[in-house]
Parts: sequence; structure tokens; C-alpha cells
Amino acid sequence: MPRILVHRAVVYTLLAAAVLIVMFPLVWMALTAVKSNGQIINPAAPLWPTEWHWSNIPDAWGKAPFARWFANTVVFAAAATAGQLAAGMLAGYAFAMFDFPGRRLLFLLALSGLMIPFSAIIVPVAQILGDLHWLNTYQGLIVPNIASGLGTFLFRQFFLGAPRQLGEAARIDGASELRIFWQVYAPLARPATAALGIILFLQNWNNFLFPLIAVNTTKMQVVSQGLAVFQSQMTTQTQYNLIMSASLIAIVPVLLVAVAAQRHIVEGITLGAVD
Amino acid sequence: MVSRRPRAAARRSRADRRTWGLAYLFVAPTVLLTVVFSIVPLVMLGWRSLHKGNVFGTSLRFVGLRNYKDMLAEGGGRTLGVTAEYTVAFVLLTMLLGLGLALLLNARVPGTRRLRAPFIIPLVVPAVATALIWSNLFAPRFGLVNRLLSGLGLDEVDFMSRPGPALAMVVLFGTWQFFGQNVILYLAALKTLPQDVMEAASVDGAGGWQRFRHMQWPMLRRNTLLILVVTTLTGLQTFTQIYVLTSGGPDGATRTALYYVYDDGFAKFDAGRADAMGMLLFLISLVVTGLQIAMLGRRDDRA
Repeated sequence: MPRILVHRAVVYTLLAAAVLIVMFPLVWMALTAVKSNGQIINPAAPLWPTEWHWSNIPDAWGKAPFARWFANTVVFAAAATAGQLAAGMLAGYAFAMFDFPGRRLLFLLALSGLMIPFSAIIVPVAQILGDLHWLNTYQGLIVPNIASGLGTFLFRQFFLGAPRQLGEAARIDGASELRIFWQVYAPLARPATAALGIILFLQNWNNFLFPLIAVNTTKMQVVSQGLAVFQSQMTTQTQYNLIMSASLIAIVPVLLVAVAAQRHIVEGITLGAVD
Repeated sequence: MVSRRPRAAARRSRADRRTWGLAYLFVAPTVLLTVVFSIVPLVMLGWRSLHKGNVFGTSLRFVGLRNYKDMLAEGGGRTLGVTAEYTVAFVLLTMLLGLGLALLLNARVPGTRRLRAPFIIPLVVPAVATALIWSNLFAPRFGLVNRLLSGLGLDEVDFMSRPGPALAMVVLFGTWQFFGQNVILYLAALKTLPQDVMEAASVDGAGGWQRFRHMQWPMLRRNTLLILVVTTLTGLQTFTQIYVLTSGGPDGATRTALYYVYDDGFAKFDAGRADAMGMLLFLISLVVTGLQIAMLGRRDDRA
């Protein structure tokens, strides 16, 4: 056999094995979600579902306020992402385009968030939220996440590379600075905004630690938290199939977004590593 | 720097001055929120890690490094060891797999261009949900892993009650969930390598391994350093799978630094120990991030 074919066969085999291993847990989840509980806990039962209990999925949905948790997650992730993009774009633009006293110091302050991992400061942040009476509120979930060192850094890099002549031409035509920002430069940033936005949105959507310290009532929790609560309830009732149904419910919407926005996600991951 | 200041001030024209207000307005949200929700909490953390008081942070008295000593004595030392073991295993596995798969995807074999999607899916779906799959797969008796083990005639393993297997289970989860990011980062890096040089090397008869060892690997050094930093930071802040899968057990065998902070701060209400561990976590991250900044700075100089 020619060498190139051997080479291709090896590459295909290794890649196929990797894809199978990576996807297997998700397939297993889907199969387990529609099994009867008896089939799951019997170590001798066949691995493939013998009966398909599609009703497990609505059952799981009905046993906990998933609709509310999804609504909270949408509000949190959408508002936090919009805030991060807006604040990051404004600050990045100002640091790139304007010369003003204290610029270096303010830029360092804006980026210091990158050096202070949120995870290290959860205890004092929770205390600040308590002092503000922001625990178990939407503003408590959203506002502390808005400052984005990454967003500021990336937008500054972007606007530093944008052509200066565009703004100067508009200035000669008498456009205000605000208008130059909004009508000349902000539209240029649209592709970068999309890539960064999808990554930030997914990060906010999947954020578990922050909601865990900011909200603890059933009414205010997000999907990830609700799912963890649901698991402990269903484990005591040994309803393992419903746990997998609930995981399926939590995963499918994100999976659809991920497949649809694959290209932007890949671009965003690369941006996020500040490379 | 001092000598540059007067010149910079002189350069500022009236037009610049007109924009100051707008500039401050634009940077205000980011700067103010960073101060309130990152810098102030960090100062509080450092201050309180040197004091003892109640959970509300009132009636504090200075105790020097006692919180740190208490923290290290009360399982903190073990926690740092576990965090180190977890992070090293996590970094090695995700980087090796990331590089390996990126090389395979970069091999210019027809039909593999769209194959990135499966590797990013574990990264972007909620970790709580995927951790629950793991707890099903590794469940005692009926979990698939134990059924495979007994099917092969091996002893079943209780992943929830034995320290070594519990840690292995969470490392495997972390690797499965995260290595896709390193696939993407290495693939992006490979695409930036000069193609003509690679092709010239194959014409000269350099085999795949030689091409990798002597050309791609050295050229990827900067990327490897950067990926190492990002991956290490992720490993150091491991939390969600510990919360869902093991709660730090059995007997602290999977208690990572961040889980310690959470557990002592929010479940056991010992703010002193939690603050000491939080401060330590910050300092370790700072050293790692410092490395990244130093590397980025060098690249900026070159540009």
C-alpha cells in the first residue's frame, strides 16, 4: 500500500477513536436519560435501553422549576455579556484613542482584574454583596461581572489597529467624538465583538461558582445550581434516570448554540487566551 | 518616564483636552467596577487573613500569620498538595492530548476540517451537567466503569470512597472537559507556522516525527508557554467537578484550594482560614500570571 494511504488510515483511526471517546459520555447520558431506573441500577441489565421512557424528560422538567432557572440564566448571561461587551468596548476605545491624564494608571487598574482571579476573593465579594443588600437579586448576579479586563484589553488592541484617518475625516466634517465612536469605529469592531461575545456568553451561562455565592433561593438560582440541587434530591430518591434527563435538558440548548456558532467559538477561544 | 511627562503634557492639544471628559466617562464603568469588585475585595482578603473575627468581619483583632498556620494545620497543607497533584496531572494530560489532536487535525487529510466541533463541546456545555454524567459512569456497582472492570474479571473500585481513584476520576473529568481548548489553541498556532518551510522539509525527506521534533516543536515554544500558563490557571481554580462529584472527599483526597476556600468560607464559616487560603491562591495565580505578562511583554517589544 502506498505510504500516503497508510498515513491517512492512521490519522483517520486515531481521530475517530478520539471523537468516539469524547462524545461517548454525552451519548451515555442520552441513553441513560430514557432508561427505566430499574435498568440503570441493575448491573446485569443490557447497556442499550430495553424500553424507551421518553416521558422521563417531561417528568424531570416537572419535578423542579427548570423554566424559572432557565429564565434566570438567560437574564444573567445576556445582561452580564451585554455589560461586559459595552464596558469593555468603551474602555478599550478610550484607552486606544484618547490621551488623558492618568491613562496609564487607569489602564493598569482596568487590567488588574485579570490578575485577581475571582475565585480567590469569593468570601469578601459575598460580604460586599451582603452589605449592598444585593444577595439574591439580579443586580447582585450581574453587576459584579461587568468589568472585563479581557474585554478592555482586546478592544484596546483592536482599536489601536483601526485606521485613524476614518476618525479624522469625520472630525473635519464636524462629527462629535461620541458620534465618531458610535458610527465610525464601533461598527468596525462587530466581528471581534461576535467572537468575544459568544465566549463570554457561554462562560456566564456555565458560571457556577459566582451564582453559588450570590444567590441561594430557588426563585433566583440559575440552571447549573438548580441542577446540583435536583441531583441531591433525586439521589436520595435514587431516581438516576431523572438526573440524566435533567442533565440532558441543561445541555441540549447550549449544544445547539455551540454547533451553530462553532466558528465564532473557535475564534473566541483563541482570543480569550490573549494570543 | 519622568522626563517624558512634560513633553507629553505639551503635546496635549486643546482638542485632546476636549475629549478628557468623554474618556473618563468611557473608562469609568470598567475602572469603578474593577475597584469595587476586585481590588477592594483583595485588600479585604489580605487584611482579614491577618485578623480573627466573626463571619461578618466585625470585631477583628490582629493575629499575624495565625490564620495561615491554622489553615495549613486544618487540612490546608493536604489541600495544597492535592491542588498541585491535580494541576500537574491536568496540565500534562490536556496539553499532550491537545497537541496530539491538533497535529492530527493539521495533517491535511481530506474530510477532517470540520472535526473540531466534537472537541469543543465538552468545554462549552455546563460542567455541572457533564459532571453528573461522570458520577453516573463511575458509580459503585452499576456504573459503567465498574461494570467494565468486573466484565474484565477485575475488582470493582469504589471511586467515591477511595482517595487515589477519587482523584483519578476528577482528573479524568477535568481532562475530558478542558483538553478541547488546547486542541484549538495548538491548532491555531500550527496554522501560523510558515507552510513553505514545512513543505520544503517534506521534500527534503524529513519524516513526520523529525519535522515535529526539529521544526514544529521549537517554533511552537512560545505558544506552548502561553498554553501552559492558561491551563495551569484553569487547573488551580478547579471547583465545579469537585463540588458535584466528591465534595472534596473522601477525607480531603480531592479537596482543591478553591473548594477549601468555599467550604471554610461558606459552609464551615471560618473566614480566617478561608481568607488565608484565598490569599495563597491569589499569590500562586499571580506568580503564574506574572509569567504570562512577562511573555506578552517580550512579544510586544518584538512587534
